[in-house]
This record gives sequence, structure tokens and C-alpha cells, in this order.
Amino acid sequence: MPEPDEQTNRLESLLLTLIFAALSLALLLTIFVATRTGPAQAGWWTRPALAPGVALTVLVLANALTLWKEIASLRRSPATPAEWAEARARVIAWLRPVEFLAYFAAYLWSLKLIGYFPATLVFVTGLMWRVGLRGGRWMLAGALTALALVLIFRVGLGVWMPAPALYDLMPGGMRTALIRWF
Amino acid sequence: MDFLLTGLAQLSDPAVIAVMVIGAILGVVVGAIPGAGAAVTISILLPTTFAMDPLTGMTLLLGVYCGSAYGSAIPAVLINTPGSPVAVLTAMEARPFVERGEARRAMSLAYSSSFVGGVLAVLALMVMTQPLARIASNFGSAEFAMLAISALVLVIIGHSGRRAEATAALAFGLFLATIGIETAYSTQRYTFGIPSLISGIPLVPLVIGLFAMSEALVQLSSRSHAAAPAQLGGRFFQGFAEVFRYPRTLFGSSGVGIVIGIMPGVGEFLAQQVNYVWARKFSREGHLFGKGAPEGIIVSEATNNAVPPAALIPMLALGIPGEELTAMMLAVFLVHNVIPGPDLFLNRPEFVAGLYWTLLLMNVVIIVFLLFATRWIARAATVDRRFLGVLILTLSLIGTYASNYNFSDCAIAMVFGLLGYILRSHRWPLTPIMLGLVMGPIVEGRMRQALGGANGDFSIFVTRPISAILVAALAILILFTLRAELKNRRRAREDWQINDQ
Repeated sequence: MPEPDEQTNRLESLLLTLIFAALSLALLLTIFVATRTGPAQAGWWTRPALAPGVALTVLVLANALTLWKEIASLRRSPATPAEWAEARARVIAWLRPVEFLAYFAAYLWSLKLIGYFPATLVFVTGLMWRVGLRGGRWMLAGALTALALVLIFRVGLGVWMPAPALYDLMPGGMRTALIRWF
Repeated sequence: MDFLLTGLAQLSDPAVIAVMVIGAILGVVVGAIPGAGAAVTISILLPTTFAMDPLTGMTLLLGVYCGSAYGSAIPAVLINTPGSPVAVLTAMEARPFVERGEARRAMSLAYSSSFVGGVLAVLALMVMTQPLARIASNFGSAEFAMLAISALVLVIIGHSGRRAEATAALAFGLFLATIGIETAYSTQRYTFGIPSLISGIPLVPLVIGLFAMSEALVQLSSRSHAAAPAQLGGRFFQGFAEVFRYPRTLFGSSGVGIVIGIMPGVGEFLAQQVNYVWARKFSREGHLFGKGAPEGIIVSEATNNAVPPAALIPMLALGIPGEELTAMMLAVFLVHNVIPGPDLFLNRPEFVAGLYWTLLLMNVVIIVFLLFATRWIARAATVDRRFLGVLILTLSLIGTYASNYNFSDCAIAMVFGLLGYILRSHRWPLTPIMLGLVMGPIVEGRMRQALGGANGDFSIFVTRPISAILVAALAILILFTLRAELKNRRRAREDWQINDQ
């Protein structure tokens, strides 16, 4: 849905569109490698390459149009040194979410090792600490959040999780309970 | 009448009533929290609804959808922070009310106009959907293909000022829909030998990545804190009677909201803008708009709440979702093998009628809840955005995993989360990607059937009357849009030349 527009950096947008245009063109060029042709006697409308071909052609054209609009804007009024500096800072900021996604990947990996509740507890409180939500109240809120998630998803909705390696170290009855609920 | 009565029987199921109340309350709360909202919540809840029966699952999601439309008014009025783009006008018009110590009056104006807009849209859904489905039962593949293409074109046209980007996003979504095994010859497309791509790009990880994880990443990177809510001054019930002093604005806004809600890809925001401009032009108090006009709040909220039920009309009658939230709901239908479209009324009338009644009752539940809980919800709206980010990211993992019990889906969600974050920061629209993914198989399947029946002859789309009407309407719409675009561009160039001189 259209939303109220905010100012974006033209150079950053140009770089992003260039990346999208290059990727979409590369995908279009690989179409005959990435799809099979189908029987020769069948109609053209049944060709497996038709739908991705149309979608990718439209994608390439739309990216080219966006690129042209951005280049035209920069030719009309060239970027100022301030815009260049802002663009550099904004492109570097693309890496900011990568850090959070790395924590997310670690959380995902740790689930199989230490189980849902301990992994969630560490992830929630650790991430809160990282983003500056420190102090006893925030840590308690994080721990309660992890507990609430376990109660809702594992106990309430019965979401199944594979048995983590840590629980294998526990005695029989406790191991079963941990696998079932945590 | 019998049809509607069968639906009433569905309300005797305590599970339906329970999820309706939970969904409505959850919707109001998330609608009131800037950064949460219906799209994030529905994407995370989506996998949990797969285990419920279709009516229960749909009721939960619709509760969130409708509730969030009401809830977004709370931070708009009490914190002067719109919970979503559709609350911008409410925030602007409500500010003078709060400054005058009449926050309660503004809230009740918002609630009552939301209620009228929401209820009228449900009535429109009850009246219009079945006749539309009856007409659609005469449609063949050519008509359905043209309808689906028209919906896609409307999605692009609806993104005024960002049409090239919306086209790219839509085409990207359509391309994603082609990945995996195609149905004609069971050959693989764009899988590059990766086993997890053979069954295609799964919807839930894409939705959670694009809408929930990307939002979480935005919130985690933020540093801003919400202001404390304003005091609830004034009388609460004043606004409930006051809305009926402006019947033309109230019912006109609801009507336009319904019409625009039916049209795919246009959405609440544009509906509100159109209504607001018209109401200001034709109102006797037009000079007050933007300075705390009751009619300004009425226009914003009645339109905003009329759209969600109206958006269900094309989805139920034709099987074509018009925006991201109904597209997500389509997934619930498909998981339960409930195929929306004309046959739905023959095969599952009790489900459709049950949906009508739950939607109607939901509006009553929401308004009663708001009367008692506004003050508490306003406090929830001030939750720290970073905490919200942590919560959404944590929920994204369990939401993605629970859809398929597959950890590799979480990796797909991460990729779309990063993509969504970058696109958001550039104001590229995300909705067309989602619609492309959902509509892709419909368009491809229907086009194949239509062209197969005509031996590859494209004239099938202009020789069948309904299809020909759709083609003509689409051509006229595209021509008008291009003309308007060229005019705007010429005007912008002239302005630029004047500034240059």
C-alpha cells in the first residue's frame, strides 16, 4: 500500500537499484539453464520457461526504468558532497541488521544444542543487553518473556522441537519432561 | 436467510467465540503499538492457525485485522504518534482536541466512526459477496485470468509515485512463485539443485521475513522512545452521539471505504486521502479541517475501518486477494483445502455465513473492550521500540519453525528479513512481493487453461464478453494513469526549469 514518502538518499537508491538490476538480468540470462524446455509438440503457452521469463523481463524493465529515473535525477542536479557522505554512512548502515541476524542464526543453532527455553532466555536477555535495555527490570522482563513464550508455544500450542544435546545429559524422567515442555 | 442462519449456528462453538475475543483484543493492542501492527502479528500467528479449523483460524486473523484498525487511533490521539500510516490524519485532527483537554471526545469520535464504518462494511460483505460469486460462477479461465491480471495492474497503479518500484516488486514476487517444480511437466525451475527449493519458496517464511523480521530489525536499530500518553480529558460519550450530526461525512466515508476496499491494491491509505479531500471540499466546516475538525476524525476512522471487511469481498467471491493481509488469509484457506471463489458458497455456506456473523460481532466486542481498556492500551503503546524488536524477532523464529517444523525455513525468513529491511529503508513497497507470490500460480494456471482452450490464440481474451470488458476497462485505466503521470512529469519539469532560471 502506498505510504507517506520520506526522503531517501539518491546515491544509495542508485546503488541498490543497480544491484537489483544486475541480479535480475543475471537471473534472466540463466533462464535456459534454470528451466527445462518441455515436449517439442506442446503449445508455447505450456513452456516451463514462459512464466519466469515474463516475470523476469518485467523485473528487468522495471529496474531499468527505476535506474533511468535515478540517473536522470542525478544528471539534473548532481549529488552534493554532503549527499555522498550521507550515502556512504547509509550503505554502511545496511550492515547493522546483519549483526542482529547473526545473533538470530546463533539462536537457531543453539536450539538444537541447549533446547528452546534456555536458548530463548539467552537470546532475549542477550539481545536486550546489546540494544541497551540493561538493568534488573529489563532482564526480568526478558526472562518472563522467554517463560511466556515457552508457556504459549511449547505448553499451550504443543509446538514440537527436536531433543537438544543438553537434555541427553539429564536423568531419564527429567529428560522426558524437559523435551516435552522446554 | 437460511444461509445466514446456518452461520449463526457456528457461533455456538466456544472456540470461535474465544478466538474472536482474543483476536480482537490482540488486534486492538498491536494496532495501538507503533511498529507492531496487523501485518507483523498476522504473519507470526499464521502458522498457529493452520492447526485450527478454517473458521476459527480465520476469525483469529480477522480479529487482529479489524482490531488493529480501531487500535491505531489510540496512539494517534493520546500520544500524537500514528500507530500506522492510516492513523496520520487522525493524529493531525485529534491534536487540537487533546490541547483543549477533549481527548475523550476525540477518542469517542474515532471509536464510533470506526464502528459505523466497520459494521457497514460487514453488511456490504453480507449483501454483495454472494451475488458477485453467483456472477463469477459463469466465468471461465479467461475471465479469471483477466481478473487476476487486473488485480495486479491495480496494485501497481495504487502505488502512485512508486509505480516502477511496485512493478519491480510485483515481478519479483511473480518470479519467486515460479521457483520449484512446475505443474505442467513436473520440471524444476530456478532450483539450481538446492533441495529445499524444489517445493518452491514457502509462503510463511517469506511473509514473516518480509513483514515481521524486517520490522524487528528496524525497531532494534531505533533509538526513539514514545512520549507519555495525554490525559483522557472530556466526556467519553459526547463523540458517540456527535458522529451522527455529520451523516453525509460518516456514511459517505464508509461507502467510499467499502468501494475502495473492494478494489485490489488500493488500500486504506489512499481511500482515506481521497475521502479526506472530498469531505473537506464539500463540508460546511471545511475550513476547520486540519485544525481539529470532528469530520476529519470521522473521515479518517470510518474509511480506515470500512476497508478490512470490504477487502474480503473479492477474496471470498473471486478467490483474488487485494492486499497483503487478505493474501495471508488466503494461505489459511488453502492449507485447509477451502478454495475461495464461487464454489465456496455451494460447498461451505456455513463457513462463509459464520465468517459474516463473527465479523459483525467482532465490532461489538472491540468497541466494548475499548470503552473499558483505552487507558491501559495507551500505556502499552509506549512500550520501548527496542524491546518490541526483540520480541518480534524471537516470535519470528517460533512462528517460522512452527509452520513446517523445518529449521531451514528460518534461514529463508532471515534472507527475506534482510531484503525487507533494505527495501523498507528505501520506501520500496513490500506488499507487491507478497501478492506476486500468492497470485503467481493463479495467473499462470488460469492463463495456461485459457490459452490451452483457445490453442494459444490471445483473441480469447477479447472475444468473451466479460473478459473483453475487463480488457477494455484495464486499457482505459492504464491510459488515464499514463496521461496523469505524463502531466505530472511535465509540470515537474516546468517547475524545475522555472527554479533553474
